[in-house]
Amino acid sequence: MSLEVKHVTYIYQKGSPAENHALQDICLKIDEGEFLGIVGHTGSGKSTLIQHLNGLLKPSEGEILVDGVDINQKESRAKLKELRMQVGLVFQYPEYQLFEETVENDIAFGPRSLGLSEQEIKERVQHTMELLNLDYENFRNKSPFELSGGEKRKVAIAGVLAMQPKYLILDEPTAGLDPRGRQEFLELIAMLHRQGMTIVMVSHSMDDIARYAQKMIVMEHGQIKLSGTPQEVFSHPVELEQIGVGVPTLTKLLLRLKERGFHVRTDLFNVNEVKKEILTALSERKGDTTC
Amino acid sequence: MLKDITIGQYLPGHSFLHSLDPRTKIIAVLIYMISLFVVNNFFGLGFMLLLSFVVVLTSQIPVKFFFRGIKAIIFIVSLTVILQMFMTPGEIMWQFGIFKITKEGIHQAIFMGTRLILLVSVTSILTLTTTPISLTDGIEHLLKPFQRFGVPAHELAMMMTIALRFIPTLIEETEKIMKAQAARGADFESGNLVQRAKAMIPLLVPLFLNAVKRADELAMAMEARCYHGGENRTRLKALQYTKRDYVAAVLCIGMVAGAFTSRFI
Repeated sequence: MSLEVKHVTYIYQKGSPAENHALQDICLKIDEGEFLGIVGHTGSGKSTLIQHLNGLLKPSEGEILVDGVDINQKESRAKLKELRMQVGLVFQYPEYQLFEETVENDIAFGPRSLGLSEQEIKERVQHTMELLNLDYENFRNKSPFELSGGEKRKVAIAGVLAMQPKYLILDEPTAGLDPRGRQEFLELIAMLHRQGMTIVMVSHSMDDIARYAQKMIVMEHGQIKLSGTPQEVFSHPVELEQIGVGVPTLTKLLLRLKERGFHVRTDLFNVNEVKKEILTALSERKGDTTC
Repeated sequence: MLKDITIGQYLPGHSFLHSLDPRTKIIAVLIYMISLFVVNNFFGLGFMLLLSFVVVLTSQIPVKFFFRGIKAIIFIVSLTVILQMFMTPGEIMWQFGIFKITKEGIHQAIFMGTRLILLVSVTSILTLTTTPISLTDGIEHLLKPFQRFGVPAHELAMMMTIALRFIPTLIEETEKIMKAQAARGADFESGNLVQRAKAMIPLLVPLFLNAVKRADELAMAMEARCYHGGENRTRLKALQYTKRDYVAAVLCIGMVAGAFTSRFI
């Protein structure tokens, strides 16, 4: 079971003078249960790529396979709704899609359009809200527009989670949140991942990707420039700097230390591990008067 | 699909018409419209038709843009032509039951049809060769004399500028919200009329909310930059008549003279 992108090319405004290859021959396989991070500059094609995964955009060339089925074939196009139930997509600033009078109804919009029974809808809404630490009784009858920014975002994401997707795709889920909100959200995503959900997350924060993703791709000009585990990808700091995405803060620190002659590993992304590594390196140097 | 909307579309270029002052162009279009209704015979109409051809050629704009404009009004034109043809009383040329076509009717139909098409083509030359900003600038200047009668010239122009500026933004946002709701299972394409109208709610509510919010923010941003209406306001690009505009003025006088003379041929 997997999401597969096979030789996908996407051309914006084909035939016009503004023709633009937003994606060029992209190949990618996301296995079930994986956490994939997508990084890249603005305009590198990240958002275009993820919109292909649930059929919002149709590739100019190539195929998208969800659990082995080509989603752009005629028979599959008719079942787009079911596909979108399996592949949940959360856009950037999802709080702009809220429209219902109450939080409960807004979250229920997705499940309702799938034609579920009212009983099941209610259960799903309640379950999702609890998952996101939104008190059901307290919030259900509130208007989504009177909530705080972070709460709005939670409700919007709940609207996608309530469809109980197998694959969850998030486009910069933490953009515009305060540090605490960011942390809370990332923990939530990590928890969903632990519960078995496949996660694809677009992010500008290398720190977040290094910390949570198991695999990552780096995009530039509609192509995948680097891919692999964060350890593998972040071992190419020069290329990453050229692409303009850089490396995580901790990696930067370790690289600087190495430059100054300390014997440290540079493939660690956890604060505690890095701390230990630096302390060891420092103790090795004890007695050395050069610094 | 929404990107095909072309209200006030402008095509950049360097023709004689592009470089004219917007005020000149607006007045010239008004004079052309008046002349179009001054002429009353085929000589006059031919003269106006010829003039519009010349103007279209000098504008260096592909002819397909004019056809697109005409296509948009084809229904109104054909309705006018048909009504004129059958409803004008006079010398009967052909009759079937209560339907009759008169000589005067045909004459009227040709005149009204041509006039409508010419009107649209010439006004589209105006918008095609003038940027929306300089167009509103021109309107503001032309409305200035009416300010003492209570016409808020500057405010009207500013409103037009802002409206034009936000058309593309709103279109972009519409597409974004449509996608976001489609990802939640919304369906904008199937169902009967009532279902489709209902399906628009998830699109329209966020769209209006954001538009109102954005208007608020824009007002705040304008105030933060000390905007307080038109009084004592100077501009970066002050409108200035040049030699070309005087040439155009002479040509316009020639056009009016030609239109009046044609009545006596």
